[in-house]
Amino acid sequence: MSIPFASPAVTILRRIAAAVVLLLVVSVLVFALIHAAPGGPLTMYLENPNVRPEDIVRLKKALGLDRSLAEQYIAWLRGFVVGEWGYSFSDGRPVAERLAERVPATIELMAVSLLLAAIAAVPAGVVSAVRRGRFPDGTVTAISLAGISLPVFWFGLVLQLVFAVALGWLPSSGRSSVLDGGLVDRLRHMILPAIMLAAVHAAAWSRYVRAGMIDVLGQRFLISVRARGVPERQVVLRHALRNALLPFVTVVLLDAAIMVSGAVVTESVFAWPGLGGLFTEALARRDYTVLMAFLMISSATVIVLNLLADAVYRQLDPRVAA
Amino acid sequence: MSLPTTQRIPFLPARRMRDRVSNASRRISAMALGATMLACGGDGRAGRAPSGELLIVGYDREPDTLNRFSTHILEDIQSCVVEGLTTTDEKMNVIPLLASEVPSPENGGVRLRPDGGMDVTWKLRPGIKWHDGVPFTSADVKFTVETINSPDYNPESTEGFDRIASVDTPDSLTAVIHYREVYAPYAIQFIRGALPRHMLEGKDIDRATEYNRNPLGTGPYRVAEWKTGEYILLDKVNDYWRGPEYPRIKRILFKFVPNTNTRINQLKAGEVHVVALVPWDKYRELKDVPGLSIHSTMGNSYEHVTLNERQVEAFRDVRVRRALLLATDRELIARTILDGLAPVTDGAIQPISWAYTDSVRRYPFDLAAARAQLDTAGWTDADRDGIRERNGRPLSFTLMTQAGFAIRENVAQALQRQWRDAGVDAKIQLVDGTAISNLWFEGKFDAMLHWWHMPSDPELVSFFASDRTPPAGRNINYIADDSLTRLVYAADRTVRQVERRRYLVAAQQRLAELVPELPLYNVTRLDAIPATLENFKGNPTNTGIFWNVHEWQLR
Repeated sequence: MSIPFASPAVTILRRIAAAVVLLLVVSVLVFALIHAAPGGPLTMYLENPNVRPEDIVRLKKALGLDRSLAEQYIAWLRGFVVGEWGYSFSDGRPVAERLAERVPATIELMAVSLLLAAIAAVPAGVVSAVRRGRFPDGTVTAISLAGISLPVFWFGLVLQLVFAVALGWLPSSGRSSVLDGGLVDRLRHMILPAIMLAAVHAAAWSRYVRAGMIDVLGQRFLISVRARGVPERQVVLRHALRNALLPFVTVVLLDAAIMVSGAVVTESVFAWPGLGGLFTEALARRDYTVLMAFLMISSATVIVLNLLADAVYRQLDPRVAA
Repeated sequence: MSLPTTQRIPFLPARRMRDRVSNASRRISAMALGATMLACGGDGRAGRAPSGELLIVGYDREPDTLNRFSTHILEDIQSCVVEGLTTTDEKMNVIPLLASEVPSPENGGVRLRPDGGMDVTWKLRPGIKWHDGVPFTSADVKFTVETINSPDYNPESTEGFDRIASVDTPDSLTAVIHYREVYAPYAIQFIRGALPRHMLEGKDIDRATEYNRNPLGTGPYRVAEWKTGEYILLDKVNDYWRGPEYPRIKRILFKFVPNTNTRINQLKAGEVHVVALVPWDKYRELKDVPGLSIHSTMGNSYEHVTLNERQVEAFRDVRVRRALLLATDRELIARTILDGLAPVTDGAIQPISWAYTDSVRRYPFDLAAARAQLDTAGWTDADRDGIRERNGRPLSFTLMTQAGFAIRENVAQALQRQWRDAGVDAKIQLVDGTAISNLWFEGKFDAMLHWWHMPSDPELVSFFASDRTPPAGRNINYIADDSLTRLVYAADRTVRQVERRRYLVAAQQRLAELVPELPLYNVTRLDAIPATLENFKGNPTNTGIFWNVHEWQLR
């Protein structure tokens, strides 16, 4: 008896259905967690001595916080499904608008950081693997471990102190200068946060590339490649690296998903106006509607990029598809 | 068959490797050079010097809205655009702004009615126009009151407005406010200004994004641009009512930099020129930065330890409360942890207030007296473990304070150490800022180290009246003293300042006897400004430092 193979279309539909169920479960968990956290959207009001208890009651009703949690969740879910994400508790603006205006900054930072990290990680990993046990390997390994171990927050502040305060070469934070905002200005603002974000990923990724390369370089198919007289450089870069990059692609896509969720620490240190900054602000103000939409989008992004990683993997390695 | 591991790793020939490294080095050098050129592509300095053209303020958060009645954070930006009928100056005096004078019983602006209510007549300054050229009139004041009391709008607070029965506008420059009952802080009722009737009438103000992000005002500046997540740029108003010479600075930029360390770095790099409310632990880092000046203003807030009598039985005994204060070496804390920046205070009303008195019982550090008080109260250390107990229960409680607030964490540790010397066990609990507000509101704490942002009016009812425990007020000491309650209510129902002061002095003296909380030090405000900035005066209240921004001038 043969095991029936599902067609690619059926597989994709199954994955999408599973993703929807997963998102639903995530929404329940996230909703419960957000509401379980001490404080609430009205907590900030309590600090103002002019806000009377009657004001709190009135605002609670206006925001729908006087209903049961189940009612609040169902109301939110109904709206979310049809694209009505509600209004921010904080400033009364549509949630979708608040998220949309932050996306470009995050995408910009993420893209540059991913590129920088990949440019640094791949050569470092290859050199480290090829020269395993030698000085270059030791150097790359030491730098990688330092990069992985660095407290990101501290590293960012050091970058600011050196390049902005001491040397005065670069702006310490923000996305552009006021009354300037040209391309060069934007790039200057991008350098420090991108380095900070890229450093962490480059350090980790170089270890993946190194491990992948060591694994591939030990495989027997390379003997036949070498036996055909293929130059060593081509053996490494064309045959070994291509295979070693398979797991690396998955890691990059998954990390990208996390980055889209907002490089919270980086954006906080460098006052970068992206999703991470919005998340931090919404969390502090317990802006439930913004938090829910943000976390659902983050979860959906992780799921989608997971699916994408699978698809890319299938394309790159026909054995998986088979 | 697999090959031995040692043979699996192909090594590049050394010369080829050197070539590759060399090529890579050349590429990296070229990239580094390019990056350096890019980095130095500006003016060689990270920031620009402050000037009459542009002043950059490092602001700790992005406002939720610029509608002064809706926002729940400080109104620095708003106060540059939307002016109140009055404001408070650097000495906390209420001064007229859009009103031609502050109404008072003496000038006939306040009249007490026989039915227990009162009428306040506001005379508006003539010739004031909204930024769109429409005259500012008493109809705007009336519209503001009616809108705030309307169920269709959700302002942050309705404090005081809820006591208004109606507003009469006998002419375009006179608004008579009819209060149902006496309201002592009437002079700051319209400190947040007014809503423009011609723009907002009939609109859903909660969702009026156009106004909420770019409010129409009468102030020296208007909003030129709000770049979400980055900054708000204000442009000077050319026909400002004070005359063409005001304001003197062309543009003010509020740059959002939520991270404190980054904000301080920006100040040092010259990327921002003004930072209000500099944390005390950053003072030494900034005081010698060239071109910067640190302006100090005595605050209207005070750091204290709230003792929750509902939660901790021992706190219900005044001898225990007094003992804790006697065991606290506040001068030592002020001298060391606070670097001498904040003076010790003895009560809820600060020396900057007209209602302040220093004629109260004081509790200078006296460990022996503290121990004696505890002995008298029956708390002794029978088992010699260093902690006193009574009826088998140790004198122990949790001291809660805000996490990530370095000074407070240090002060909490100092208190813990000092009280331990008196035989009192305090465990420190650090809680994040958002959660802590909720915990105090629910009364779920033993003792809490914190401060109140006090209003400029010395109102004490909400903090100490026995019927104002949460959720009805902020009496989170849960103190219930009839004499004190009578005094604070009497002060709140008295308009004449001399008479009101008598009640408030008596209330302060009663508070010093009762010690419902442990006053520690005044929350002195430090503002970092350019050394070349003239006419900066600071402000002790939540009015903020921009109340006289029209006068600011850079040398």
